[in-house]
Amino acid sequence: MPEISVKTENLVRNFGSFVAVNQVNIEVYQKEIFGFLGANGAGKTTMIRMLCGLLKPSSGKATVGGLDVYRQSEQIKRSIGYMSQKFSLYEDLTVEENINFYGGIYDLNQKRIQKKRDEIFFSLGMGDYARTLTYDLPLGFKQRLALGCALLHDPRILFLDEPTSGVDPKARRDFWEIIHQTVALGTTIFVTTHFMEEAEYCHRVFIMDAGKIIALDTPTKLKNRYKKKSMQEVFVTLVEKQQEKKTNPMPDSNDKMS
Amino acid sequence: MQRIFSMMVKEFKQVFRNRPMLSIIFIAPILQLFILAFAITTEVLHIKLLVCDLDRSQVSKEVVRGFGNTDRFDLLGFSTDLKEIKEKMKAWEAQMALVIPPGFSRDLGRGQNPEIQVVVDGVDGNTAGVALGYARGILGEFGTNYVKNRPNYTQPVGIHLVNMEERMWYNPDLSSQQFMVPGIVVVLLTILPMMLSALSLVKEKEIGTLEQLMVTPLTRYQLLLGKLIPFLILSYVELAVVMTVAIVFFKIPMNGSYLLLAGLAFLYLFTTLGLGIFISTITSSQQQAMFTAWFFMVFMILMGGFFIPIENMPPILQKLTYLNPMRYFIYIIRDIFQKDSSLFSLLKDAVPMTAFGLLIFSLSVLKFQKRVG
Ligand SMILES: Nc1ncnc2c1ncn2[C@@H]1O[C@H](COP(=O)(O)OP(=O)(O)OP(=O)(O)O)[C@@H](O)[C@H]1O
Ligand SMILES: [Mg+2]
Repeated sequence: MPEISVKTENLVRNFGSFVAVNQVNIEVYQKEIFGFLGANGAGKTTMIRMLCGLLKPSSGKATVGGLDVYRQSEQIKRSIGYMSQKFSLYEDLTVEENINFYGGIYDLNQKRIQKKRDEIFFSLGMGDYARTLTYDLPLGFKQRLALGCALLHDPRILFLDEPTSGVDPKARRDFWEIIHQTVALGTTIFVTTHFMEEAEYCHRVFIMDAGKIIALDTPTKLKNRYKKKSMQEVFVTLVEKQQEKKTNPMPDSNDKMS
Repeated sequence: MQRIFSMMVKEFKQVFRNRPMLSIIFIAPILQLFILAFAITTEVLHIKLLVCDLDRSQVSKEVVRGFGNTDRFDLLGFSTDLKEIKEKMKAWEAQMALVIPPGFSRDLGRGQNPEIQVVVDGVDGNTAGVALGYARGILGEFGTNYVKNRPNYTQPVGIHLVNMEERMWYNPDLSSQQFMVPGIVVVLLTILPMMLSALSLVKEKEIGTLEQLMVTPLTRYQLLLGKLIPFLILSYVELAVVMTVAIVFFKIPMNGSYLLLAGLAFLYLFTTLGLGIFISTITSSQQQAMFTAWFFMVFMILMGGFFIPIENMPPILQKLTYLNPMRYFIYIIRDIFQKDSSLFSLLKDAVPMTAFGLLIFSLSVLKFQKRVG
């Protein structure tokens, strides 16, 4: 039995009377790439924010790395990395300055920061941009830098909220290359995406609609179950089914009316 | 410690890279100072003058002629009714009135120093001050001529020949440079820390970096300290610059202790930095934060005795000013500048000011949470 990184039980988050996350139960295992799919507004970001300790759940249980999100959110923050949906490094600082800053915030010593800086420069191919203002970076490199900064303190669990939105296919591939390397080193990845080919790279995917789980399995099993060739088709079929349920709660009642 | 330091380094870099912001921070107050100083010293012409000559003698007419011979004063007319003066001033028709008492020429002839009353509308303190200066000059000149034309007059050359009694109905303190410049110090220590902290926190909220910081182990105290210490330092730098300009360039007398001023300024900064944090927690964009900060500022300035003396406000508003921390600091700064007050004599203002500061600051810090939504 693999070790569990993230576990939720009946997790709920309301905004007023609106239910953004509705009774979600998941288990994410160590060293897993856990894909999180869902249409806009499905509740993906809300879910991630609760797990990162940014948002208090309305009810239910959740642990991250064995720590409780209600009581131990500050400890959780030491062992997780987070890349928010919106690019959020300082654009008025250079690449190097951003790295130094986050290194300082994570209380890494100078040697460690230096080492990480070199890693980002060389393995992420950002050496030429060291003194460039982050504002002037191509988007693909901005995302890569954000990933690098989220990994500075070697987190055990990494949350990525649509890390590749707006990035060209080549840059996206490179990005996933890095994700695979990171997992190989023992990190758990929790990633949301709208790109179905990215879903194929995940070990397991979790499809959410209007705050509820509608499917959770490996991409292969999902494709077999719904007899589709790609995750794209699986996703569309599932979401359409949900739509039908919503518009026609009782399909045969229409017949009687007409 | 390294965490706070990293925040500070980052904050300084960002401030110095934000040119428009930088110029607003550093150039605006100095510009303000210059505008105010020059606006105050420019020549005032065509002051509307009402004359109330109760003496009706040759000599009193000579005095009035002195005022009529210059374009600094426009002679509106004569009046024999003291009440009329008040009414005309209320209706903004007269700015100054000259009251020559009965028996003026007789007393003058006897070598007694008679009084001429000069009534100035103190609403516009600057004009009032200049007008008084002119009046002194004209009366002084009159005195010189009076002695010259009367060879057997035994008094020494009459400088103190005519005493004046000035009455300020609206603005007893006569705002002048000496009064306004210390006020600018207060305004500066309000705008700068409040705007900088509110805008920079809200900007991080807007672009999402605050959310990013909130998932790091940085505590909210480290976050706020790292943010506020640079603004505190910048506030002091700016304070030093403005005071230097005021003292060296405008020769504003500073009679009190610099150390005391700096120390009390620190206590005042709790209020303004605290308000900055507070504003950032109730707004979600820089624009909103800017508006909210302006709102606070206008309220504080209007209700703090900067432009409108507190004594002249309706009683209810006067009571309300006790809730305004700026009120206390304005008194403190003016006292230090003008009277060299000791800490002890300032306690009655310093204590409530500090109490407000600590209250506002701690409530704001509590309201600032390491969470979104
Ligand atoms: N602070 C908030 N207050 C009120 N409603 C909110 C808040 N945050 C999110 N919501 C609502 O909750 C729902 C889920 O939002 P969430 O951001 O989690 O969706 P998402 O799956 O991340 O969507 P996207 O793909 O567009 O990023 C949306 O309908 C959103 O309007
Ligand atoms: Mg989202």
